[in-house]
Amino acid sequence: MGTRPISLLVLSLVVCLSSLAPWRAAGQTGTYAPPRTPDGHPDVQGIWQVLNTAAWDIQDHHAQLGVPAGTGVVDGNEIPYLPAALTKKYENFGNRHTVDPETRCFLPGVPRITYMPFPFQIVQSRNQVTILYEYLHAVRHIFLNGEHPSGPIEWWMGDSRGRWEGDTLVVDVIHFNAETWFDRAGNHHSEALHVIERYTPAGPDHLQYDATIEDPKVFTRPWKMSMTLYRRKDPHPELLEYECFAYKFEAEWQK
Amino acid sequence: MKRHSVVLVAALFGALWAPVAGQKYGDLGGCSDEPQQFHQCATAKMKEFNPPRTPDGTPDFRGHWSRAGVFGTDNIEEHGPGLGDPGGKSLVVDPPDGKIPYQPWAAAAKAGYEHTHMDPAALCYLPGSPKQLYTAGINQILQTPDSVIFLNDYTHAYRVIPTDGRPRLGPHVRLFMGTSRGRWEGNALVVEVTNQNATTWFDHVGNFFSDAVHVIERWTMIGPDAIHVEARIDDPKVYTRPWTMAFGLRRNADPAFEIWENACHEGNVLRWPGTDLTDHLKLYFGARPPN
Repeated sequence: MGTRPISLLVLSLVVCLSSLAPWRAAGQTGTYAPPRTPDGHPDVQGIWQVLNTAAWDIQDHHAQLGVPAGTGVVDGNEIPYLPAALTKKYENFGNRHTVDPETRCFLPGVPRITYMPFPFQIVQSRNQVTILYEYLHAVRHIFLNGEHPSGPIEWWMGDSRGRWEGDTLVVDVIHFNAETWFDRAGNHHSEALHVIERYTPAGPDHLQYDATIEDPKVFTRPWKMSMTLYRRKDPHPELLEYECFAYKFEAEWQK
Repeated sequence: MKRHSVVLVAALFGALWAPVAGQKYGDLGGCSDEPQQFHQCATAKMKEFNPPRTPDGTPDFRGHWSRAGVFGTDNIEEHGPGLGDPGGKSLVVDPPDGKIPYQPWAAAAKAGYEHTHMDPAALCYLPGSPKQLYTAGINQILQTPDSVIFLNDYTHAYRVIPTDGRPRLGPHVRLFMGTSRGRWEGNALVVEVTNQNATTWFDHVGNFFSDAVHVIERWTMIGPDAIHVEARIDDPKVYTRPWTMAFGLRRNADPAFEIWENACHEGNVLRWPGTDLTDHLKLYFGARPPN
């Protein structure tokens, strides 16, 4: 009997804390409360980079010449290809050193741009989140207050529309072309690709990044990639350049 | 034939980036859009205009902008009309004759480039500084408490300009866009740009600089919808003295405007050796003064 008032106190504290922090239910980490921008959104600005090998292969893979071994970023490791699409993936893999659009220095699409082994910078404005990528100086304008334009549109990087769900920046991306791959290993999609990205602060220097992939022309069901984004902590971090096609021109012309 | 190819490329650029009817542009601070006239007018206006401020108290450049006081990028010196460029006065405001003060070797080199080399812009190369600021198309300026960011829609070029007093990069880091360091002087943003790899030109006719170039840009608002930009170009390898060009930026006042994808390299059919253009013209690897 004597414990009841304490239990009630604990319960009311829990209820109280929950009501003070309702957004936490949506986040995956639960406990970290990120700093806020002047507009009241979680502040995810800064220079970030992955520490994984997904650019070479998003699935489990052993090392090859120039390719570090890696554990995959695909939940469950299996990608649910339709039969014809699986055949194409194997073909792509066999021709990957010449056929991967990235070898021609084309914009790598979403989410591949996220896990290219280069830093990127997130900048937040009131109605927009802008991501500047060192790789190919790619830019994504993620609009927070607009709708996808009506298609059909085929863009290399798609059309990104964002919203905040609790502490998570959720970005809906459609209007892709079918020209990009998910990795050097030949994992592919069609122009019907629909990506839902989730950027969730997991600590002052970490973002949890999840990308749900839907493409009924290529996959039997939606599937998901997950990885950590790490904040660059160098004394004065700064994006430099990787102008892939310019270096390729120079190499071609110097032959 | 050679000349024809280059002009054709320039024309494509001009046609692609002509202003679209229906876009809403703000007033150019009451100044003329004519090069030279704009500079004189803006120099007077900037003394009296009190710019809007960000929450941090710095002049607020945020928004979408297009070049003003410059009608094309065929030639930054005075020139006649061409395909995609109506012609006009020089953007060079110092020296007063509007001519880039080339050293003799550099003047000779420049005269040849147009006929022997592909314009790096035709290959979708990044524009460098200050060309980024007078490139065609729509641009966006973002500001954070410790940086100003200038983005072009054309080739999705961007430049992050830290204003936090950080040190420069070492001289061996060479970048198409260089590295920028900004500071506030009164109402002006002063940006010093170094570390450019100098494999781009100022314009389509091959006006050029070397990797020793030191650019000092001054951005000053002269009205709620107008920015004056002055760029002092110092390059002791190429010129006999520092020189200055001036131009402007005019606000795209459509609040719903969005920059969409510009995949320049991906759609560029002129890009590889063996195509018609590359049969006749060489790749520009940058200028070297004679030893």
